[in-house]
Amino acid sequence: MKPGLRIDSLRVLGFGRFSGVTRELGPGLHLLYGPNEAGKSTLLAFLRSMLFGFEKNGHPERYEPKGGGPFGGELRLTTEAGALLVRRVAAGRRSKGELSVLGPDGQLLPSERLEDALGHVSRELFFDVFAFRLDELAGFERLTEQRGASEALVAASMRGARRLPEVVARLQKSADELYKPNGTKPLLNETLKALEEVQSRLREMGDRPARYFAEKERLGALGEEQRVLEAELLVVGREVERLTRLEAALGDLVALAEARAELESLPALEHFPEGGEARLEDALHRRKSYRAEGARLAERLADVESGLERLSAPSRVRGREEALRLALAAYQERSGLIRTLPARRAATVEKRRQVERELKELGLPVDGPGLLALDLSASVRTALEELATRLGAAESACREASSVRGRARLERERLDGEVARVETELAGLPETRPAQVRQQQAGLGRLRGVRAELERLGEQRTELRRQFEGARTQVEPPPVEVVLPVWWVPAVAAVVVVLSVVAWLLAGTEVAALCLTGGLLLTGVLEMARRRVEAARAATLEAHAARQRGRQQEEERLRSALAGLAAREELLHRELLASAAEAGMAPVVTAADMAAREAALAEALEQAGRREELRREREKLGAEQGRARREELLADEALREAQRRQGALAGELAGHLASRSFPLTIPASAALALWRDAAALKQRLLDVGTEEAALAADERDCEPVLTRLWEEAADTILTSDTEWTTGSPGSAADSGTAMRSSGTVRVVPGAARFANTADLPPGFMEDVSARVASALETARKQKTERQTLDERRRELLAEKARLDGLCHEEETAITALLADGGGTDEESFRRRAAQARRYAELIHRARELSLRLEARTGMSEPLARGALRETGGEEGLRSALESRRARQAEAQQRQKDVLTELGALQQLLEQWENDGELARLRIQEEALKARAAELATRYAADRLALALLSRARRRFEEEQQPRVVQLASEHFSALTGGRYRRVFIPTGEERELRVSDGEHDWSAASLSRGTREQLYLAFRLAVVRDFGETRGALPLIVDDVLVNFDPERARSAIRLFARLSAQQQVIAFTCHPWLREAFEAEGARVQELDSGASASQQASAAVLQAG
Amino acid sequence: MPFKFVHAADLHLDTPFRGVSAQGPLPGRFQESTFRALARIVDLCLRERVAFLLLAGDLFDVKDRSVRARLALRRELARLDSAGVQSFIVHGNHDPLSGDTGTLGLPASVKVFGPDWEEAEVVREGRRLCRVQGISYPDVEVREDLSARFRRTGDGFSVGLLHANLGGAEGHANYAPCTAAGLGARGLDYWALGHVHTRAEHALPGGGVAVYPGNPQGRHANESGERGCVLVEVEDGGMRRRFVPVDAVRWHRLELPLSGVGTLDGLLAMAVEAVESRCAAELDGHAVRLTLTGRGPLHRELARPGALAQVETDLRERLARSHPPVLLESLRDGTRPELDLEAVRAGGGFARTLLEEARFLAESPEELARLWEQETLGSLGQRLKRLGVDVLEAPRPEWVVGAGLHGVESLHEEEAS
Repeated sequence: MKPGLRIDSLRVLGFGRFSGVTRELGPGLHLLYGPNEAGKSTLLAFLRSMLFGFEKNGHPERYEPKGGGPFGGELRLTTEAGALLVRRVAAGRRSKGELSVLGPDGQLLPSERLEDALGHVSRELFFDVFAFRLDELAGFERLTEQRGASEALVAASMRGARRLPEVVARLQKSADELYKPNGTKPLLNETLKALEEVQSRLREMGDRPARYFAEKERLGALGEEQRVLEAELLVVGREVERLTRLEAALGDLVALAEARAELESLPALEHFPEGGEARLEDALHRRKSYRAEGARLAERLADVESGLERLSAPSRVRGREEALRLALAAYQERSGLIRTLPARRAATVEKRRQVERELKELGLPVDGPGLLALDLSASVRTALEELATRLGAAESACREASSVRGRARLERERLDGEVARVETELAGLPETRPAQVRQQQAGLGRLRGVRAELERLGEQRTELRRQFEGARTQVEPPPVEVVLPVWWVPAVAAVVVVLSVVAWLLAGTEVAALCLTGGLLLTGVLEMARRRVEAARAATLEAHAARQRGRQQEEERLRSALAGLAAREELLHRELLASAAEAGMAPVVTAADMAAREAALAEALEQAGRREELRREREKLGAEQGRARREELLADEALREAQRRQGALAGELAGHLASRSFPLTIPASAALALWRDAAALKQRLLDVGTEEAALAADERDCEPVLTRLWEEAADTILTSDTEWTTGSPGSAADSGTAMRSSGTVRVVPGAARFANTADLPPGFMEDVSARVASALETARKQKTERQTLDERRRELLAEKARLDGLCHEEETAITALLADGGGTDEESFRRRAAQARRYAELIHRARELSLRLEARTGMSEPLARGALRETGGEEGLRSALESRRARQAEAQQRQKDVLTELGALQQLLEQWENDGELARLRIQEEALKARAAELATRYAADRLALALLSRARRRFEEEQQPRVVQLASEHFSALTGGRYRRVFIPTGEERELRVSDGEHDWSAASLSRGTREQLYLAFRLAVVRDFGETRGALPLIVDDVLVNFDPERARSAIRLFARLSAQQQVIAFTCHPWLREAFEAEGARVQELDSGASASQQASAAVLQAG
Repeated sequence: MPFKFVHAADLHLDTPFRGVSAQGPLPGRFQESTFRALARIVDLCLRERVAFLLLAGDLFDVKDRSVRARLALRRELARLDSAGVQSFIVHGNHDPLSGDTGTLGLPASVKVFGPDWEEAEVVREGRRLCRVQGISYPDVEVREDLSARFRRTGDGFSVGLLHANLGGAEGHANYAPCTAAGLGARGLDYWALGHVHTRAEHALPGGGVAVYPGNPQGRHANESGERGCVLVEVEDGGMRRRFVPVDAVRWHRLELPLSGVGTLDGLLAMAVEAVESRCAAELDGHAVRLTLTGRGPLHRELARPGALAQVETDLRERLARSHPPVLLESLRDGTRPELDLEAVRAGGGFARTLLEEARFLAESPEELARLWEQETLGSLGQRLKRLGVDVLEAPRPEWVVGAGLHGVESLHEEEAS
């Protein structure tokens, strides 16, 4: 039996009618006895609730205190893991209440500790098997029939599957949600239904490609049919059109026949002049208008004639227009020139006068012509300029040379002074060479160095000698002689022997032997000590010898170093002598002497340097002095040369001036200025002359022009102008006189009223020219007018002749027209014209009709008549037309149908080519298939898992149940006093308990109620024991389950309880005194529950202590 | 004279994708992919200037009843025809001659082999390049070894074009079954086979080779990885084979271990990262089946009702937005609770009985078949089979083992809860 759980005490805080009740329990069998309504069932519910939670709100066994207050309680438990305090109180919204598990020290533990203690028994199993009432004992039957108890029993007694029922239920639910063979709602059913639908729709669509290709073929056939129909329609349409046209032309044919009949009735008027009447009217009208026009022309001719007469009056200008025009043109051409002539002449005279005045002011001894005769050409000026330049250059060269000579002389004098200064300074310095001084300085330096070296050597020698002396004094004495000579040992031995002999003699053999042995041992020890000492002395001697050798070597080294130092000292002494001689001092001098000598040598060196420097300067100055003297001589020569050249140039200039009548004394620049003025005057004089010549030429040019104009004007216009002829001669004569006085007189032959253009009054000739121009204009206008009139007259005459011709023509035409029309007069002509109009109308109509006929039918009239005859006349035509039309309509209808069908088919094929719907359905189908496969797989997995669980459970039951069933058999046998021996569960699908007495077996249902309850109790006890053995011993709590048992079987049951209570706690409730007695008889601890007392009163009562 | 040819098979033009819903923009792209694959095969032929193209059956699926498939085939083969490239076709179990194949109106240069053995020659510049032999399926079910009718007829390179199941490949109906020894005995140089959708090459005794190029476009999660055709170059009697992928949309089966993932958000991020790292950008799209594996703390959370579905929905939306778009076919929970089966078995009790019972059933087919019928799964299987869903045709031992594990895990979970 595995340790499980035991309830040690309970404390009700508030549960049903109880509050503050405490009960002490413990191991063994307990009976809680009380009458009805004492609270037995409440306590059972309390224990259940404490362990597994309160029932849900509203449940009859929730037992929540009605008056409020605390709801819950505590259980003190003993478990495998120690004491636990389980407290459960109502808290918050959790219907199960707030569970707290406390350890022995009051520490809070996880709630799993309680579950562990309960062996993880399920609530259902605990309620069914471990804590039950009478009615629940009967309920076991129901559970047995269903799967619950069996599974619960299995679950209760097996590890790892205590929630098998839930798992099975969940799997079952999941499977049911997935699929039911006859269901519609589950997922797979729905999916399959959808799949079937999609597939049926796909089936409806049929074999799409086969249909597609068939329809494609049909499309081709329809296309062909459509083409045939089109051709047929074309033919029929043409026929219908032809007949329709013929029908439309029927009216025209009749009208044509009528027109032809009327034409027959009229005379032959084919040749009547076309538009005869109108033409006659036109001709008459034209004749009349021609005559009126002739009259108007005659009037206009008379007007022209009178104008011509007026223009033919005589004129002086006529005939001379050309000469006048030429003279006027020549005058106008020169009029500007003529007007400026007097002003130009005055300006020229003034200019000449001014030039001559300026010439006088210049002061040259020449007049105008003389000036002109002078040679003042550019070459002369150039020569003069060149001469002036050269003269300037010669003068400046002369000045330059003189200044150069002055500078050379100054330089030479300065150098003479410098040389003298250097000579003086040189004379004051001693004659010593710097090299000698430097040699003495070097000697002095070496002397100083050698002396220092000698001192250092002396120190070294002293040091070495000291070391050498030290080395020589350090000689160690050799180690002392041996302390223990060799011969001591045999001597001691001998003494020992002797003493031993003496001892033998005195004290016997033992003492002698002892003495001998002791003496010999001492001798041995002595010998050993001596040897050790000998060895140590040898080592000391060796070390001493080595040190001596080292010291000798050191002495040798120091001695050789001393010899080296002596040699070096000797060498230095020789060097000291040499350097002292070089420095010019004795070898034994004091340091002060040396310092004084050094200062003197430094000064001597400085002076020697200065002397060298001065000597070099003197040499340089000597060379410079020679060069300055040479330069001075050269400058003198150059000056003389420049002066000579200047004199030659001055002579040349005087020659030039004399040849130009210029004053000889003036300098070259003044002569050049004079020349420039004279040349300018000469140029101006020449210009004045040129102007005068030009003026004279212009006057000569103008004169004939004026003369000619005047003559022409005088001949034509002026003669007729009395005022002008009388006013002008006087002034003209005056001016003529003035002209004569100037010596340029011109007399115009035949017209001596004025002679010179210059003498004319201003504006006179302009007036004359204006008059001439106006006369010329008048003459030109008259000529133009006459020409116009002449032209007009000619035109009028020609028009008159033309009108006369036309009148005549019209007369002739009228006569001819009348003759043509076959009429003798106008009246008969008009009558025939009306007939001819009608005739033409008819002809035109007939032609129009025949044309229309041709246009409508495409046939000429005879052909149309022939065709009409062929179709059987008008009636035949109409019937033929009707039949053709019917045929056409039929074909059109067929074509329309075919086209519609074609369109629909094409659309269908196009739709199929794109196949959207089919593809969508196929995708849907595949998706649904995939979904169905997945759901089916899941369903199969669930079903398989369920089946597997069922099989495993059965197998497990078969393997595990014998123990439970065996226990149940034992208990049932004990309960029934051996009446029934065996309980079993038959293999197979029926899950039921059966009992057997060894010969027969019965199902539980066939047993009496009491026996059946005993069977279930036996089974429960078996499970409880099995559970206790495998999982843990839990308390068995039974509420009056034995009431249907007879006393004997009840006692048997109580005995079983008592036996069970040896291993696990058993708590029973009853209200029956006989049962109480029976329990008491089996040693149960009885506690009483009061029925009357209220819970609060009960709380104050003393705690009932069992047993 | 060197020459090249392309060998493709199992085009399955316009066949719907399995496990892809009809809604949304992606299915259209997927549905076009079989056409795209064929167009790429033709492009390859034109680019490589091959002498001919071999199509080894199942060009389309008769049950799809797709007009588009027929028209696309005709259009693409017309492109080859106009470029002077011959095509050789045999029909397979999905497009047998008994279907509508006769009315296709294919170009003149396309040779469609009939139900009896035929041989055609490929001639260029007056010289024979190659002999091509082939037999089409007259009907869906051909149980005869058609390869036995093939034979070498002369010198030169000889190709056998056949839709057949070589060596009884798993997962494919055993039509026209043949063996490597049988094919080798025919003496042909190259067996252009179709029917098995997974690319494979079999060296044959006698020096020949039998090639399955696989289908050029995967259509469900079991056809994952790159798909295409085989380009063969023949020169001086030797041959060089090169696989050329032509698929436009690619399937992936990814496993996502749960270990180390603590939250559903973390799982989502990891899933997106895992998927995106595997999906090449140059394709038109990808489809992914994602299986969560391993044992981890998330297992319990995923087991909550609706949790996995929510993750799947979120993931699907996120992946559909990536470039190129990724279609999440399904998110499967293959995770296991943290359960030591050996310990459970050793611990005995009901769990051990359950596992032993499962093993017993898995090892005794008769008992399993009885259970299968008892649970009415057989009749459901029949009903499904009638609807074309071959899933519960026969009980499979591994299902029982799985159910046993499932039971143990459920009980264990209950214990844990």
